[in-house]
Amino acid sequence: MDNDTILSELLQGIAKRTEKIRDKRDSLLTDAVLLGETPSPTYGEDKRIRVIVDRFRENGLNSPIIDEFGNASAHLPGLEGQSSILIMAHADSVFSPDIRHEIQVGSDHMTGPGIADNALGLAAMIALPRLLKELGIQLRDDLILVANTRSLGRANLEGAKAFLETMSSPVRAGICVEGSTLGRLSYSGLGTLRGEITLQVPSDYDWKRFGASGAISHLTSLINQIREIAIPKEPKTQLVFGGLRCGSSFNTSPRQGTLRFEITSEGDDIIGHMEDQLNEICEQFSAETGTQVNMEVVAKRKNCSIPFTHPLVKTTRSIMQELGITPQVDPSTGDLNALILGGLPAVTLGLTTVKNLREINETVQLDPLYAGITQLVSLIQAIDQGICES
Amino acid sequence: MSNTNENWLERNTFHHGAFWDLLKLVEEKEKKGLKISLCIPTLNEEKTIGKEVLILRSELMERYPLVDEFAVIDSGSEDKTLEVASNYGADVYLASDILPEVGHKRGKGENLWKAIHQLEGDIICYVDADISNIHPRFVYGLVAPLIHREEISYVKAFYDRPLNYSSGLRPSGGGRVTEILIRPLFSLFYPELAHIIQPLSGEYAARREVLEKIPFPIGYGVETSHLLDLFEMHGLETFAQTDLDRRVHRNQTTNALGKMSFGILQTFFNRLHAQGKLDRMPDLETFYRRFEVDDGRYSQLIQEVVEEERPPMIDIEGYQKRLSST
Repeated sequence: MDNDTILSELLQGIAKRTEKIRDKRDSLLTDAVLLGETPSPTYGEDKRIRVIVDRFRENGLNSPIIDEFGNASAHLPGLEGQSSILIMAHADSVFSPDIRHEIQVGSDHMTGPGIADNALGLAAMIALPRLLKELGIQLRDDLILVANTRSLGRANLEGAKAFLETMSSPVRAGICVEGSTLGRLSYSGLGTLRGEITLQVPSDYDWKRFGASGAISHLTSLINQIREIAIPKEPKTQLVFGGLRCGSSFNTSPRQGTLRFEITSEGDDIIGHMEDQLNEICEQFSAETGTQVNMEVVAKRKNCSIPFTHPLVKTTRSIMQELGITPQVDPSTGDLNALILGGLPAVTLGLTTVKNLREINETVQLDPLYAGITQLVSLIQAIDQGICES
Repeated sequence: MSNTNENWLERNTFHHGAFWDLLKLVEEKEKKGLKISLCIPTLNEEKTIGKEVLILRSELMERYPLVDEFAVIDSGSEDKTLEVASNYGADVYLASDILPEVGHKRGKGENLWKAIHQLEGDIICYVDADISNIHPRFVYGLVAPLIHREEISYVKAFYDRPLNYSSGLRPSGGGRVTEILIRPLFSLFYPELAHIIQPLSGEYAARREVLEKIPFPIGYGVETSHLLDLFEMHGLETFAQTDLDRRVHRNQTTNALGKMSFGILQTFFNRLHAQGKLDRMPDLETFYRRFEVDDGRYSQLIQEVVEEERPPMIDIEGYQKRLSST
């Protein structure tokens, strides 16, 4: 049978599959709530990881493992088991454990911090063995399920990279699962540099000198200088200021402040060049103002991609089309980079429509979710049947 | 307090963590041929009811078949409580439709009482609808002692591991009405019942054979009356209590608590009256009883509080002399 025939057979009855998944939604939604209500900041994912390991066991997966980076993983053995398919969902969240992690459940939606990113993605990954069984799907490949830690922010995909290094069996392909957003199709990782610039007014600072001021004024001037850096249209490049921390009162000039930023670009050279420029600006600013300015690069990754015409991407698009999902090509800055740079064909999929992403009132819609899960299950089947290889 | 009662605290106080093995619990329940019904009384709870039904049904009916029947009994909500609850698969009843020949009274106790008629379980577990951190432990922690121990017929929840003090001791964290009204009242009139750490908690599980034999105040007094009536009929040994850790719920205004206390006092004095304790007032106890938790072990702290009194100053000789000399 050629690939097209296999795919068209696989797509038959896909709508029915969505309905069946909708009928069996309760434990998926329950897991999303229980995981969402377990705080899991980057580097502090252990409690959520324990919930995941319990779920792996309760779902009949033998010997789930927590590795030294805190990643939780489990195997669902396939009929042949000569190769495997890797499913990853990041376990960390951008929310501090200090905020109230409460998920509200309405008839057609769920709301709460981190429910989309990535409690729902984790719950879907955990649900796979049960869903495959209920849909009567027996894979030939082993399915490797991973809840990876240390993905976001400063962590620089540490968890995913470490997990991939320990993998021994041949992997056909990988899928990263995210709650947000249905239609998302990532098959490339965007070159990224994340940095933190710390400005400090030294203790022996001469407050009488011309232009003397506190950290806030200095940081403002510094930001204005950074904004003068020319950002090319091609290759596509972006500079985002993501955080600024400085001061604690109304009437005291602070002595220290920190600026967080991210550069993303389709050109690795551009990133390198902008990093040099930033370093120069910091050095010059420091010398001219008598302040200490240090730039620390906390995460850096190169551009990587599999082609748009890769059978994995093509098959994903066909599955989406059959389900009435419009693909939105969106380069990833997340775990997908680790997979593609590690030599695996891989994509990132989103599961449902989301509002207020990364806000306290992050909301996932439930109605589109079942098609989102169907696309994931169908893609796993397609990979298993060998039609996603170049 | 006698040694027997001290032992009661040891023997009949549990932590939900002891019952984590739900497979074992379901096995035991099936071996004993018990049927368990879960009832959530509601009135305008659309914000929290969806999650309660979703989680409790999916974990305790589908994943582990501990609960055989799951009903939401509503007092006439005007929001989407009923729609959300049935969307997640609960059997939804209006209290007014159950036993219509006895009429309808509006109050939580009414729903709990009518649940005895509507539901079929040998054990009925009641869980309030306003718990925002709902978890299966809120049910299995309460029904497990009834499954394991036949002599227990009524299990109450208690919550909130209170703050740790530098001494390592933590006071019990009842609500304001518990600490200010119920614990002093119990200490005075029913010192044995002062062993119940949170007498007003809205979550409890009980055997049908005891529930069907006691009256149900329809309002605030229902929890208090259950304790007083079952204590009178069966003594302390019929009770157990389970620590369910933290419970997050709405905070009530002081006014609402005043109203609640007024309702509880009515129930309380009705019982005192019926048991002849008002007409033939006994010597009042002078020991005030509260709780301490140390290393996960609960103990009662008994403090003598004697309200000594002085006579009117006018009766004192020295004072009279001072008055006559001026």
